[in-house]
Amino acid sequence: MSVEEQIKEIVAKIVHVDKNLMTRDSTFKDMNADSLDIVQALVAVEEAFDIEIPDEEAQKFQNFGDFVAYVESHAAEKESA
Amino acid sequence: MPLKGKLALVTGSGRGIGRAIALNLASQGADIIVNFFRRREAAEKTAKDIEAMGVKTQLIRANVGDPAKIDEMFNEISTKFGYLDILISNAASGVARSILDVDVKAWEWTMDINARALLLCAQRASKLMEGRDGKIVSISSLGSSFVWPTYAVVGVSKATLEALTRYLAIELAPKGICVNAVSASAVETEALKFYIKEQLIPDTRQATPAGRMVTPEDVANVVAFLCSEEAFMIRGQTIIVDGGTSIDLSVPAKREETL
Repeated sequence: MSVEEQIKEIVAKIVHVDKNLMTRDSTFKDMNADSLDIVQALVAVEEAFDIEIPDEEAQKFQNFGDFVAYVESHAAEKESA
Repeated sequence: MPLKGKLALVTGSGRGIGRAIALNLASQGADIIVNFFRRREAAEKTAKDIEAMGVKTQLIRANVGDPAKIDEMFNEISTKFGYLDILISNAASGVARSILDVDVKAWEWTMDINARALLLCAQRASKLMEGRDGKIVSISSLGSSFVWPTYAVVGVSKATLEALTRYLAIELAPKGICVNAVSASAVETEALKFYIKEQLIPDTRQATPAGRMVTPEDVANVVAFLCSEEAFMIRGQTIIVDGGTSIDLSVPAKREETL
């Protein structure tokens, strides 16, 4: 399963949205996610990929695509380290 | 340097009240473990500022709402230091909602971080404090006894924290550990700016009988006193730092005047 698919599964479960409706352009706002949903989604993804996503970085995400790109690059960095 | 050679863990010390407490204890000579969860940059800055004071500092990332992460944090402290003198249970989170909208997820998140973390950290910390005259101070808020709209779940978690503080104070007294809480009214922090901007709590900044807002440093001063030997006979108490706001019944009227 791709990184994107894994993140979709995690986020869909926490935010209670249909993962098939999530695209790279989706935002947490589109998904009606509140601040607790967002932080729990970030924490769950961090644990799944064994990476850290500080709020300072997460605040820069414009949409789901930015979130996926961040995880992809940091998970890859972790693997090559 | 009354705290020279002492080691303090301050949970949630990247920003706000936790940062002020960490800097205060460091200024008195204590080595500081800076715990943070979401804001790495802020925590790194706190650690840098502490180092500049010539004491040791250690950054540990841990979500204190997660028992496994608390265990990992204390395992690291045990391995690296093997002792602890001061625990400041400050890290807090919460969900701003009407009590009728508090669901299980919001309740557990808030209670786990604000209340259960004190229990679990105190259990682990007390072992590291054996024979060292330990101090534990928890950080509460006036929402434990008074009502702000949308503050329900945080207020209840703080009431739990204060009750836990009393039980810990008595049970840990034979081990030579002093346990107390400091409760603050609205303190000039980023969290407060959020609450006021979203109109979740009223803006009482102009209505404090003491004539100004409570600052993180005001809270830190009281915490530092509770960590000193002069406070030895104070046990299980919640000391209120609010510039008189909570006992001044004319504060709401003063607030109206400023609107």
